[in-house]
Amino acid sequence: MSGFTPDLELNQNEIVKQVERRYERIVGISFTISLLASIALGVVFWQGGQTQAEGALLFVVLGGLGFGIVAWGKYLVPQGPYVQEREELRSPADEKQAFVESLERGESLLLRRSFLVKLLGGAVGAFGIITLFPFIRSLGPQPKKMLYVTNWKKGSHLVRPDGSKVHVSELEVGGVLTVFPEGHAGGAISQTILIRPAFQDIVTKPGRETWGPQGYLAYSKVCTHAGCPVGLYQELTQQLLCPCHQSLFDVLSGANPVFGPAPRPLPQLPLAVDSKGYLIAQSGYNEPIGPGFWERA
Amino acid sequence: MNLEPIEWVDDRLGTAKFTRKSLNKIFPDHWSFMLGEIAMYSFFILLGTGVFLTLFFNPSMATTVYHGSYTPLDGHTMSQAYASTLNLSFNVRAGLVMRQMHHWAANVFIAAIVVHLLRVFFTGAFRKPREINWVIGSILLILAIVEGFLGYSLPDDLVSGTGIRIAYSIILSVPIIGSYAASFLFGGQFPGHVIIPRFYSIHILLIPALMAGLLGAHLAIMWHQKHTQFKGKGRTEKNVVGVAMWPAYALQAGGFFFLTAAVIAALGGLFQINPIWLYGPYIPYKVSYAVQPDWYMGWLDGALRLFPSWEITGFGHMIPAVFFPAVLLPGVTFGLLILWPWIERKFTKDYEYHNLLDNPRDNTWRTTIGVAVITFYMVLFFASSTDVLANFFNVSLNLVLWSFRVAVFVVPVITAVIAHKITKEASAVPGAGRPRKAMVIMRSDEGEYTTVESPGRPELELKHQAIHGGEPMELPEEERAHKRELGEPVSVDNEAAFATASPAVVLAEEIGERPSGGTGVFRIPRAAGSGGGLFSPRGSRPNRVDNDEANGKDGDR
Amino acid sequence: MSFHKKTVGRLLVPVALGVAASVAGMALFSQGASAATLSSSSVAKGVSSVTYGGTRGSSKAPITTLKLNPSTIKLGHTLFVENCSSCHGDAAQGTSRAPNLQGLGAATIDFWVSTGRMPLADPTAQAAIKPPRFNRSQTLAIAAYVSSLASGGPPIPQVNLGAASLSAGEGLFSTNCAACHTITGVGDALADGVYAPSLYTATPTQIAEAVRTGPGNMPRFGTSNLSNQQVADIVKYVKYLQNPNDAGGIGLGHVGPVAEGFVGILIGLGALMIAGYWIGGRAH
Repeated sequence: MSGFTPDLELNQNEIVKQVERRYERIVGISFTISLLASIALGVVFWQGGQTQAEGALLFVVLGGLGFGIVAWGKYLVPQGPYVQEREELRSPADEKQAFVESLERGESLLLRRSFLVKLLGGAVGAFGIITLFPFIRSLGPQPKKMLYVTNWKKGSHLVRPDGSKVHVSELEVGGVLTVFPEGHAGGAISQTILIRPAFQDIVTKPGRETWGPQGYLAYSKVCTHAGCPVGLYQELTQQLLCPCHQSLFDVLSGANPVFGPAPRPLPQLPLAVDSKGYLIAQSGYNEPIGPGFWERA
Repeated sequence: MNLEPIEWVDDRLGTAKFTRKSLNKIFPDHWSFMLGEIAMYSFFILLGTGVFLTLFFNPSMATTVYHGSYTPLDGHTMSQAYASTLNLSFNVRAGLVMRQMHHWAANVFIAAIVVHLLRVFFTGAFRKPREINWVIGSILLILAIVEGFLGYSLPDDLVSGTGIRIAYSIILSVPIIGSYAASFLFGGQFPGHVIIPRFYSIHILLIPALMAGLLGAHLAIMWHQKHTQFKGKGRTEKNVVGVAMWPAYALQAGGFFFLTAAVIAALGGLFQINPIWLYGPYIPYKVSYAVQPDWYMGWLDGALRLFPSWEITGFGHMIPAVFFPAVLLPGVTFGLLILWPWIERKFTKDYEYHNLLDNPRDNTWRTTIGVAVITFYMVLFFASSTDVLANFFNVSLNLVLWSFRVAVFVVPVITAVIAHKITKEASAVPGAGRPRKAMVIMRSDEGEYTTVESPGRPELELKHQAIHGGEPMELPEEERAHKRELGEPVSVDNEAAFATASPAVVLAEEIGERPSGGTGVFRIPRAAGSGGGLFSPRGSRPNRVDNDEANGKDGDR
Repeated sequence: MSFHKKTVGRLLVPVALGVAASVAGMALFSQGASAATLSSSSVAKGVSSVTYGGTRGSSKAPITTLKLNPSTIKLGHTLFVENCSSCHGDAAQGTSRAPNLQGLGAATIDFWVSTGRMPLADPTAQAAIKPPRFNRSQTLAIAAYVSSLASGGPPIPQVNLGAASLSAGEGLFSTNCAACHTITGVGDALADGVYAPSLYTATPTQIAEAVRTGPGNMPRFGTSNLSNQQVADIVKYVKYLQNPNDAGGIGLGHVGPVAEGFVGILIGLGALMIAGYWIGGRAH
């Protein structure tokens, strides 16, 4: 410990005592502080607990113990350095030889009945595979068409998260809303983002002449990159940004990816207006929504 | 001392010899050898706090309407998992501090593993005979990262739920088996009703058990093979120089556990981590901007952001864009990591045992490669916060992203070149990095000038002596045990001196000695030229080490 | 271990200091805690009697319209001509440099001017929050003048937070606002150099104005999309986010795992490495 200048008039024995007492004192103080903090911690718990007080007092309790113990181990017991021989890791050659002989003796005894060995292997293997099968098959259903379909069907009403239908008059130009097919409000797969960039019908791509009635556009809200909800609508630049990995989609050109890692446009939901003025889907999505997978061409 | 319990155990297990050897085990003493200990202690703290959390956490995705004490979420429908995490945070005594300690300990745990791994890498400690432990350690790192991600996901809050959604997409992206694996793991289409309970049993049962087993093996192998040591005074390939297990090392290591716990407790109580009450419950159509994973997943998130929008289709199949950064990259990363000892050997053709560590500056190529690889992953890590950086520095997000796409290739090359130059030059300078000693110019009476190296700052020398002693010697019991084995007479004359010898004694001795430069009252004979203090050999010194062998490259002090 | 009398005496000083420090620390933190309790109890006053989605306890309208005094139009005109007309034109009809303001409503004018975004220093970058150039009555005068030029657009809302529900606000905020402003309201960079600003300095009126008028890249939320009640709920939650319940300690800027990672590595592992450096030996 620096800054310590012992009285040089003392004889060596005295100095030893003096130095050791100093270290003992440091360790003792450390343990005492820890003890007192433990009591304080008990009081805090008794009073109902308070996170910051608990953390700070735990720090003092544990830190006092740790500092004291380390200081004890560092300043009050011999440090060496001590030396120790490393034993040879490798076994002596005759040991190895004996081991190989033992192994081979047993092996030859077993292999004498090699047919039984094979049969044993086959029986154990079969048991293993057979028991694995129900385990794996019970974990979940086969994917089948799961990744190709959503709950959107021809004529599905667009509803808000609370289940209320969306009327064509309800969204401001420049407004945005998350919608679902009626009966499936809140669904993770069918979630769709409804945007109204203009008063007029919008054509985003050839073949989609009727998909955007009265300036409404609807895209799958599941990012084609890693599946996050593309909930970030930049109204002035007419772009959708995915908050997870910053893929940027151009709303007016069919949600084409213009920046970032997304490989495909967001699928567009063809919209129509029913006789009462509520928004409906002309059909479901015409392609699988969300990120790619092996079976998808 | 009461010998009865010792007798009782030894009669039944015959442990005396093994435990004696264990108590007298010598641990090389260097601060960088403590990094693995930080990781191990964090693991213990994770186990302890984790058990506490399981008493209150309910891993269910069944919904409930919350009417607890956190009023801003009053009346919300949420999963039991999320609701029980809220209750744990607000209504359980010490619940929040435990939860936060658990999370901080996880962050520190993986950081310590990484730093420990870097120490092992750069000093070449993975070389023969320690390849097995390198592989076990690498697997522990992978398990720790997976374990961390699962734990982060359990509260079912908005931010972690988005993370699970991305994980689903990543599993989905694996060729051939992806859609089946995703459907089996999630029990159907995302999000399903089983993922939180399944993550929970993997998080609290499967992976911790694996990790505990592997950690045990890691330690047992380290114990058996004995620790590596840096080159230096008295250190050879065939010995270990350091402090004894009992009591010095046991106290230091035991105390360090408490210090680790103390730091994590301070973080847990004073620094808020993952305030899930502000994030709200996970609802699939909701999302927050600026969602990032915990730091150890950052490089994967960064890779996902930087990788271009390449999706390969053909023959009726698709390899999705996320496959390359999120499956292939980690696969290659961990594959190369695990195989590194063999990869390096392919080039060095070095089949020797290595118990003495390399100084990183002496192994130019390994250091260069290591620096380049670290830089690569650090760039990826920073790329996981492109949005935060763009916002903080008020530049365009697009510009930031493109800069990172370039930087991820350019910056590692730059740092590699710098590392190569520095290591090359430093390795050519003898004694580089050592405390410099003043050169004293002396003028003799005849007017002749000579240059002499000063002995160094006396108080620093003294302190170093006091703490680290002088010539290494064998522990007295071990010495006697050897003699008994050889049938030599055993003397116990230095026992009394050993029992009281401590750094204080050495320091006091030095201090007492200084003014007179001669004998103190309790002057004790010492080995010539070095501060052996009270440990000066009385008897033979069978393990007196050969200095020349160890000091060939590094030089003596 | 035995201590001499003198030693015990010396012990007392650091022990007393340690205890004093812990007590002071506790007092400090418990003050923070009581502040947190206070704010949550004031929160409770607003919502305790109501459940999410139900009535809000107060019969008063959640949002009322601020009536602008027609006598201030003249002052507003003067200010407009002096400060705004060079870009927006003499009658706010717009020029090649700046948009037409006629018919945008008083809320739009009030939002842009009261947040200091207007007058604009650099027309190429996104308008940033600055200290406003005009005081409240001057701002309202400008709003009165511009809205007198043409009808239309939302009026200036005044939010009655007593009639708003905090928990309903959380649900609406996380659905409609968090995707850009982040779930903690800290804001973040969007594509092409624009950003969603931090909500930490916004006043209730400004929040409601932003929701209704959709400034810049922000979408507009009309009354059929979000009712007045819902806007008031959102405002209440945003005001809560400005001083949220940081029960866990220092909030680290509410930016999430990035800041946490740095703290964990630099402070956590850093402190432990320093401890390790003390415990372990150095190079020999």
